[in-house]
Amino acid sequence: MWAKRSEYGTGTGVTPQFDSQAYRPPDAQTKQSSPGEQRIRDSFFQSRSATEALEGRTALVDQLVRERWTWMPKNIALAAVGGYGRKELFPFSDIDLLILTPDEKAQAAIKEPLSMCLRDLWDKGLRISQSVHTPADCNHIDSGNAELAVSLLDRRFLAGDESLFHQIRDPRPDLGKNIAQLTKERHTRFQDTIYHLEPNVKDAPGGLRDLQVLRWLAKLGEAEGENPAGTERLFQIRCFLHYLAGRDDNKLSFERQDEIAELSGSPSPEHLMREYYRAARDIARIANRRLEAFEARRSTLFSQFRDRSSRLSNPDFTVLHGEVFLRSPTAIQNDPAVELRLFQFIAHHDLPLAANTARRLDEGKGNFEAWARSQAALWPQVRDVLKEPHAARALRAMHDCGALQAIFPELREIDALVIRDFYHRYTVDEHTLVAIQSIFDLRGKPGDSFGDLAVEADEIDLLTMALLFHDVGKGTPGEGHVTASVRVARGALLRVGMTEREWETVAFLIGAHLDMSSVMNGRDLSDPLTIRDMAAKAGTIERLKLLTLLTCADIGAVNPSALTPWRKQLLWNLYSATYSELTRELSARIKQPEREVNPSLRQFLEGLPPRYLRTHTEDEIAEHLRLEREGGHRGVHVSLKKSAAWVLTIVAGDRPYLFSATAAAISSFGFNILKVEAFSNARGTVIDTFTFADPARTLELNPSEKDDVVRTVTRAIRGEIALDVLLKRRPKVKPDAHAMAASRVSVDNQASPAATLIEMTAQDRPGLLYDVSSVISRRGVNIEVVLVDTEAKKAIDVFYVTRLGKKLGDEEAKDLADAISAVTRPPI
Amino acid sequence: MKKIEAIVQPFKLEEVKEALKNIGIDGMTISEVRGHGRQKGHKEVYRGQEYNVDLLPKVKFELVVVDSRLDEVLDTITGAARSGRIGDGKIFVYDVGEAIRIRNGDRGDAAV
Repeated sequence: MWAKRSEYGTGTGVTPQFDSQAYRPPDAQTKQSSPGEQRIRDSFFQSRSATEALEGRTALVDQLVRERWTWMPKNIALAAVGGYGRKELFPFSDIDLLILTPDEKAQAAIKEPLSMCLRDLWDKGLRISQSVHTPADCNHIDSGNAELAVSLLDRRFLAGDESLFHQIRDPRPDLGKNIAQLTKERHTRFQDTIYHLEPNVKDAPGGLRDLQVLRWLAKLGEAEGENPAGTERLFQIRCFLHYLAGRDDNKLSFERQDEIAELSGSPSPEHLMREYYRAARDIARIANRRLEAFEARRSTLFSQFRDRSSRLSNPDFTVLHGEVFLRSPTAIQNDPAVELRLFQFIAHHDLPLAANTARRLDEGKGNFEAWARSQAALWPQVRDVLKEPHAARALRAMHDCGALQAIFPELREIDALVIRDFYHRYTVDEHTLVAIQSIFDLRGKPGDSFGDLAVEADEIDLLTMALLFHDVGKGTPGEGHVTASVRVARGALLRVGMTEREWETVAFLIGAHLDMSSVMNGRDLSDPLTIRDMAAKAGTIERLKLLTLLTCADIGAVNPSALTPWRKQLLWNLYSATYSELTRELSARIKQPEREVNPSLRQFLEGLPPRYLRTHTEDEIAEHLRLEREGGHRGVHVSLKKSAAWVLTIVAGDRPYLFSATAAAISSFGFNILKVEAFSNARGTVIDTFTFADPARTLELNPSEKDDVVRTVTRAIRGEIALDVLLKRRPKVKPDAHAMAASRVSVDNQASPAATLIEMTAQDRPGLLYDVSSVISRRGVNIEVVLVDTEAKKAIDVFYVTRLGKKLGDEEAKDLADAISAVTRPPI
Repeated sequence: MKKIEAIVQPFKLEEVKEALKNIGIDGMTISEVRGHGRQKGHKEVYRGQEYNVDLLPKVKFELVVVDSRLDEVLDTITGAARSGRIGDGKIFVYDVGEAIRIRNGDRGDAAV
């Protein structure tokens, strides 16, 4: 990989065959390296063992310092602190010394001999950083000298009066508070992420300082000692960095990545960085867990919250100190399905796992994996997690403990996978999780245009799955990553039992995940052809929304500043233009179906909008055709099915009040209409699909009610029940002061050649659709096509209307809009 | 020496860059900008509600060329950036007093 180095700037002139004898880093010449240090370095470049190098240098410095100290007065003591104290002296780290005097008076007396001693050590090439204190000073900790107190945790006696050294007491456990504070400040300096293109291996989150924090907290009794995997590798990288720079330089720059990959026998810099991120991730994960637990125990705000949150406990889990614990330690061992319920629980309540729980998940990893492999279909359980409001948090927890990879082993290909350029800030798996998180964050931003989209999109579970797999193909080089992602995702998702229909949406999203980006960057958005292409690609408004969100999340998760207002604007322009195109398309009519179909089907399809073909499967269309044939022009056929919500389909000959009678009948049961698509073909058959929610679960609990609903709707359409009788059953609503401000009705007589388009946005309420549609029907106006959607208590309806097969006049259209506007305001 | 500032449509970025490269112009600064000229933004209708998009995304090229190449560069940019529609953008040309290459102190045409 040496040839590539020029891409990242000028090289240092290092030859591929590294000769440590001949190599002199440019700025190392100012330092004098003793023969001892020289030897340690040579042996490090041979063995690459950081432990040896650190111990070797510590022993060397111990010897030099102790030798010189024999000349010093006997009533004082010398101790090593910080990294030197714990015998982890990196090649160019400062040597921290603590000089202890019995009292302040003695300090004046040793001033002269001490400065001579330090000068001698400097002359030997040691960078000494010393402080002079009495044991009493050391035992008094306030926030002003917290750093001294922390360094004392690693104190080690070197020479002089040992009794003085033993007068230093162990610091109070509340030093942990200072450590937590310092760590938080340091993490903030690095934007709280381990992911930096050129990370600082000492100070960045997940770096060696974090490892130290873990050890300090353990010494203070605040945490158990842990030694994350990959620690030795980080030590080694830091040794290389010091030797290559000839100073205490801890930044793993692009150039150093190349050099160290070569020197340490790594196959490539990408590989080296993958190892680095894995190590840093492990350290950061444990450190953050410890700090979070530490803060939770101490914060008073948190203690208020935890009193409330402990009420969330259920038979499987308890919530204590705002963290989730397993009620039985063996629960997961006995029944791995509990683990998925645990993730659903945290996805619902937005709570972190207790450290103890996370450890149990780690321990049960193998067991869970075997169980996941043995399960035929885990998709329903995974979907339950994804439907929760804080699913992103749960997914991250699942990823951290390996549960996600146990269910989808395909994801292991992108674990800590590095895309090495100046643009991609995160590893591929982290990019994926950041993207998913951003979708859930968007949902908490009402008023933001993309935030509204995220709230409206009703297949967030499928979008999340598409994001989880959109870059999985980057793990299989040689094939275009989009095709590879689709292929891998297909295998994984159909295996866990995703339905073909759901998969189609996911496949579309993964397959098209670069399309909106490339259109907005490379094509003229004011060209109708561009927009028509995009609309054809998306097919339906629902898919367009999901693809827009995916694109937004994908761009934003490349690096923190990638989603500029400029890009957001471009993406939004593309979205809204395509949205309008798809809405307009409703007024288009099928003349010739794209494929060869039998004559009876062709006649049936004639006059229906193309959307009808896109939103119904072939089986459904065949069923509609059959029902039309059975019922003839006067027939009314109603059917009711349950999918995600309840879906009521009507195939009937067109007649006045058909639409409003259905709306009235449905709302009379207290059901909440979420979505309607009303179409009619050229020979006057109406095909309406009403999707509604059943908040009281009436239909679920009383299956016989289904027949009642079908009967009532059929009779209402036939005119056998008076609508006002039905409406008396309708639940009452409280008027809402915001409703008037929110409602808006507009007329467009230009959009469609054959019909007048009325668009309405209003505060949703029971019976709204009936009120609006009956205003239209009462005026003898025919509803040709309707698209009704409800989003966050807002109803967004598009009606295409005609009178006697023609557009309304401008005056009449305006009157109608005013009348609709009047009924969107609830009675006060 | 002249400084050229060209505001063009975002989708013309690659085309303009490529065209400049083809006539041997490699040094340039490109930024994502938002603004409006006579086009003054436009009204978008989204879900029946009109709203103004007053600041349109554009791309800004900045480059300094020696006087003798000015016309050629202007023609190249104009040719590559034109779609013939409103919103294609504008080019501004300024006199440049001095240019200095920081690395070695080169001045004038040699620094461009």
